[in-house]
Amino acid sequence: MARIIVVTSGKGGVGKTTSTAAIGAGLAMSGKKTVVIDFDVGLRNLDMILGCERRVVFDFINVIHGEAKLHQALVKDKRLENLAVLPTSQTRDKDALTRDGVEKVLDQLRDEYDYIVCDSPAGIERGAHMAMYYADDAVVVSNPEVSSVRDSDRILGLLSSKTRRAERGEEPVKAQLLLTRYDPARVEKGEMLKVDDVLEILAIPLLGVIPESQSVLKASNLGMPVVLDESSNAGKAYLDAVKRLMGEQIEHRVLAPERRSFFQRLLGRTA
Amino acid sequence: MQHTGRVMPFQIRGRSFTAIVLELTGAADGEFYAALDEKLKQAPHFFMNAPFVLDLDKATGIARSGDMMGLVRELRSRKLSVIGVQNGTFEQNTAALSAGLAPLQGGREVGVEGENAEVDEAFEEEISGSEEAAAVLVTEPVRSGQRIFADRGDLVVVSSVSSGAELIAQGNIHVYGSLRGRALAGVNGDARARIFCQSLEAELIAIAGLYKTSDDLGPDFERKRVQAYLEDDVLRVELLK
Repeated sequence: MARIIVVTSGKGGVGKTTSTAAIGAGLAMSGKKTVVIDFDVGLRNLDMILGCERRVVFDFINVIHGEAKLHQALVKDKRLENLAVLPTSQTRDKDALTRDGVEKVLDQLRDEYDYIVCDSPAGIERGAHMAMYYADDAVVVSNPEVSSVRDSDRILGLLSSKTRRAERGEEPVKAQLLLTRYDPARVEKGEMLKVDDVLEILAIPLLGVIPESQSVLKASNLGMPVVLDESSNAGKAYLDAVKRLMGEQIEHRVLAPERRSFFQRLLGRTA
Repeated sequence: MQHTGRVMPFQIRGRSFTAIVLELTGAADGEFYAALDEKLKQAPHFFMNAPFVLDLDKATGIARSGDMMGLVRELRSRKLSVIGVQNGTFEQNTAALSAGLAPLQGGREVGVEGENAEVDEAFEEEISGSEEAAAVLVTEPVRSGQRIFADRGDLVVVSSVSSGAELIAQGNIHVYGSLRGRALAGVNGDARARIFCQSLEAELIAIAGLYKTSDDLGPDFERKRVQAYLEDDVLRVELLK
């Protein structure tokens, strides 16, 4: 029986899709059969950043509306045999999602996979609501920035009230914080919120801190999950986060500002 | 709500009252008045000078100000104090305004239908607010965008209240944590209500309609353990020892 994880945030552009791809890939690399689903109908990205957009024939909405079978829409990742992608439609919009349709698809996937990771769209409307409704776990993605934190707080409120688990009075959705685009140098200067500041406001367990990294943009443009870039700090941080998601206790890496050597500064490079 | 900065020649507050709704099922014709008179004969004192709101949802006609004024005159001659209308069309609302009646929104069922003296007393009791008090207890963080309403007593939060959240209570508000959102105590007009918190970081606090924003509260009480109360119609904040 699969665990359903929703990757959500409220705020847009904080790293949900990047994180969904990284977490999905990380779980697959650990030997877990994983499927990632794009809930951002009309603004689909997940297939692109996983590099499988050229192999999409049918999508999530086709399956919901009975126009295609699930296995026709699932795209297997070429690099990781345990990873599959269920892309969404670009031509329709979020009204095409129905609760029953989503439930049926998830029920079918539950038997075949260990983890189902749902990439939520930004906002708090239908798409985000559908993505979180059936979740068992939630990865709440936030930047160390005030408006992002407030939006994440709103999302936490919705996770504890507008999900099936909440409505049925079952064990609540387990929400954990993934703090992305963290820049220790700016934190030291006092320009950016510290991890502790964010935790004080959100009061949920910390899944991981992903440092700001140029490798993320690179990986995105190459259609590759950032965990496959072995030189990337962000990738390593995601892999740690995945381990914690699976229950391992790992110390959070001490995030000190990088002391760049003279040559690094000269060449303007960071890892 | 009134901003307590200086003494004004008047004060504006929010207050809720209970009125009797008279729902017309057709035209305000002879049949209507005959039926009304019949009802009034059964309990003359119950209806006398009680505030009335006319529900015009199913009413026909009365769209001209002449009709409306005629209706009001007839009702007032029967000692029914009509104060407003509800669910009227645009024309009916316009006619109502020219007859001195306010078009009202919302309203909550309170069950005041009654034709005998017993119900009369029950109605009185309800207005004086002797319903059972019930405190609301919250133990999880109150998240941004959430609104908690304690309509019959105090509100106690054993956690923090996020920025963008709202606490509303008929009685006192106690926050055993940080209060970062809004807290409105004594919303039914109880000026004795107080607000207590362990760390004041609120965007706005109000008691019985008198409020202060974060800006007004200033830096002296920020993040401190405080209580807020009304004294001589001024909202005061004091450190808790």
